[in-house]
Amino acid sequence: MSILSVTGAEKRYGSINALAGTSFEVEAGEFYCLLGPSAAGKTTTLRAIAGLETLDAGRVVFDGQDMTGQPVQGRDMAMVFQTFALYPHLTARQNLEYPLREAGHDAGEIRQRVGEIGELLRIAHTLDRKPSTMSGGEQQRLAIGRALIRRPKLLLLDEPLTNLDAKLRHDTRAEFKRLHRELGMTIVFATPDQLEALTMGERIAVINEGWIVQIGTPRELYAAPADRFVGTLVGAPTMNLLPAAGSDGKVALPFGEIGNGPWSKTLADFPAETELLFGFRPHDIRLAGPEAGPALRVDAKVHLTEPLGDITVLDLEAGDAVFKMVLPEEEAVQYRVGDRVAVEINPDKTLLFARDTGAAIR
Amino acid sequence: MTAVTSDATGTPRWLTPSPRNWRLALLIAVVAIPGSIWLAPGNVAFWISFVAVSAVTLAVTINAWGRYPGPLLVAPAIALLFVMNIFPLMWSFGLSFFRFRVNRQAPPRFAGLDNYEKILTDPTVWDRLQTTALVVVFTVAIQMIVGFLLALLFEKEFPGRRVLLMLVLTPMMLSFVAVGAFFRFYYEPTFGLLSQAVRLFTGEPFILLKTPAGALAGIVFADAWMWSPFVMLLVLAGLVSVPKYLYEAAEIDRASWWRKFRTITFPYIRSLLLLALLFRTIEAFKLFDIVFLITDGGPGSSTETIAVYVFRVSFQFFRTSQSSALAYFILFIVIVLTNLYLYFARQRSQEA
Ligand SMILES: Nc1ncnc2c1ncn2[C@@H]1O[C@H](COP(=O)(O)OP(=O)(O)O)[C@@H](O)[C@H]1O
Ligand SMILES: [Mg+2]
Repeated sequence: MSILSVTGAEKRYGSINALAGTSFEVEAGEFYCLLGPSAAGKTTTLRAIAGLETLDAGRVVFDGQDMTGQPVQGRDMAMVFQTFALYPHLTARQNLEYPLREAGHDAGEIRQRVGEIGELLRIAHTLDRKPSTMSGGEQQRLAIGRALIRRPKLLLLDEPLTNLDAKLRHDTRAEFKRLHRELGMTIVFATPDQLEALTMGERIAVINEGWIVQIGTPRELYAAPADRFVGTLVGAPTMNLLPAAGSDGKVALPFGEIGNGPWSKTLADFPAETELLFGFRPHDIRLAGPEAGPALRVDAKVHLTEPLGDITVLDLEAGDAVFKMVLPEEEAVQYRVGDRVAVEINPDKTLLFARDTGAAIR
Repeated sequence: MTAVTSDATGTPRWLTPSPRNWRLALLIAVVAIPGSIWLAPGNVAFWISFVAVSAVTLAVTINAWGRYPGPLLVAPAIALLFVMNIFPLMWSFGLSFFRFRVNRQAPPRFAGLDNYEKILTDPTVWDRLQTTALVVVFTVAIQMIVGFLLALLFEKEFPGRRVLLMLVLTPMMLSFVAVGAFFRFYYEPTFGLLSQAVRLFTGEPFILLKTPAGALAGIVFADAWMWSPFVMLLVLAGLVSVPKYLYEAAEIDRASWWRKFRTITFPYIRSLLLLALLFRTIEAFKLFDIVFLITDGGPGSSTETIAVYVFRVSFQFFRTSQSSALAYFILFIVIVLTNLYLYFARQRSQEA
């Protein structure tokens, strides 16, 4: 049963189309990610769900009730703002109590819940301080605590990790998953970071220019992106894209021809010399073995090496094309810039996009 | 150190005549000015003093030229401040310990604290202070409330807001004399707007300024009309400085209007409200122009504020030194008020 559905949401600011017909559904108890670059419309979407923004068109249905045009107060949701929006003149404790104050809870229960949240989010020691005296991580956890304390049905998180440093971001990702598991609430999480979306999201809606481009599990987005935008957004290092021409079910690349990908059947119906983009992930390239297999073998030259600790990213040059591959550190140490290296591209994992529309062909 | 260094001839440097030797010029001026006032007739003494002061100024300027450009640039402002403000202030302070009337030939005679004793035991002074307190309490209260409500109104966007805001701010920019004259006509019994409006209902002309209470109300209304926009401006500055997202967060946290106001809005305008209160109280305490123009303290002396009384003592009764003492007494009250407010303001901001 879907607890939240957004249908055909449109919102314009002057000439800017912040939302251009966004639709998606969130299941109860799901950890749902909105993934998109900055200015894609994530914040606008969340604000529309919360009721802070009135839509020009479209509907928001939450928990079986049409919320379109309803006041903010009537919705059993909480939101963590990108800027945290903590009340600067109140202490952390008062910030936490804030959502409970109007609801008629007695003092004992309020105290108990504040204590619980303080423990859960590890901010118990800062409860009597003002937000401005707290560290970035503590402020962020306080903002989450304030959203959780009312135990809302739906939690909206707007880039809650963007303002944190890398280490803290890593820890908090795990913490979010733990919270989600323990509290079992539905979460809609907006982020521009594909890694956050892939590691936390049960399902991900990729949003771009106010449009939902693709909805799927992290695995689906990674393996079968709907178009070039999703393909390059998801996965790191970024997918290799090479201009190619398709004829007769085969793709002509700068360094050879490949004909046995998952797209072969579809491509056979395309006119000759169709302009294409050939995509393959840096993880799907291997050093070539001694005997020739079904994989496309490429003789390349090392153009650049980027050691990243446990792995190394090699920039390879073959023909006019430059592409990346990922190697475990111990295999990569033998290569210097300028060395020749033979690699294999696994045809099963390759992707094909139309060069004009960017749509995937498979 | 400079005083003991000598040049080749053995005279100390501060005695060597030179255009930049301001010490020597000052010495000559200090001797020449009192000397000429004492010995020479008035007009001669004036010109001697004038030349001496000019010489000192010139010497100081030449001395500082190129060496202390900063101090030299602010010097004219400081000199003007001294001549126009500080010197008269000190002079009148000195005068308050003497017996002196500007409309008599008699030179000032030292009188110790006589003037202060006289004003502190004068029941009229206390009566005028009471009148002033009444005006202050009413006008400041009305200004704070009206200004605050206006600010709440103008915080929101609505069509015509800018134009209306400009109109509302106009009274504050008018001169006191214009406002005073305007309200005198407004309250005028025969053709004044107020009187005519009342006559529509009662058939009788309405003389607001006839009764003490009416006159007080007239003054308070005029002053509040003029200065409510000032309070509004300060409060508005506070209101617009509240980040919007705090209200949105509060909305999501389901806070009531009153809670939002108390926990979000008020902290941002508290210090500005205090500032407005302080400014307006001090200004209202010194209220003179409007009273002088609208009621001239009448009927009887029922609306004579302390400032009007000081004016009467000094320029109608010509008790110059006594009015100086009275002016210093008022200054003292204002300073005490100011410090009280600042004390409370600091107290509150430490609590917050
Ligand atoms: N209040 C606003 N006024 C004008 N334009 C806005 C406003 N809010 C958002 N936008 C525009 O709408 C688009 C989507 O914004 P937003 O939803 O904040 O994107 P995201 O959160 O994905 O970065 C952007 O182009 C942004 O400039
Ligand atoms: Mg955003």
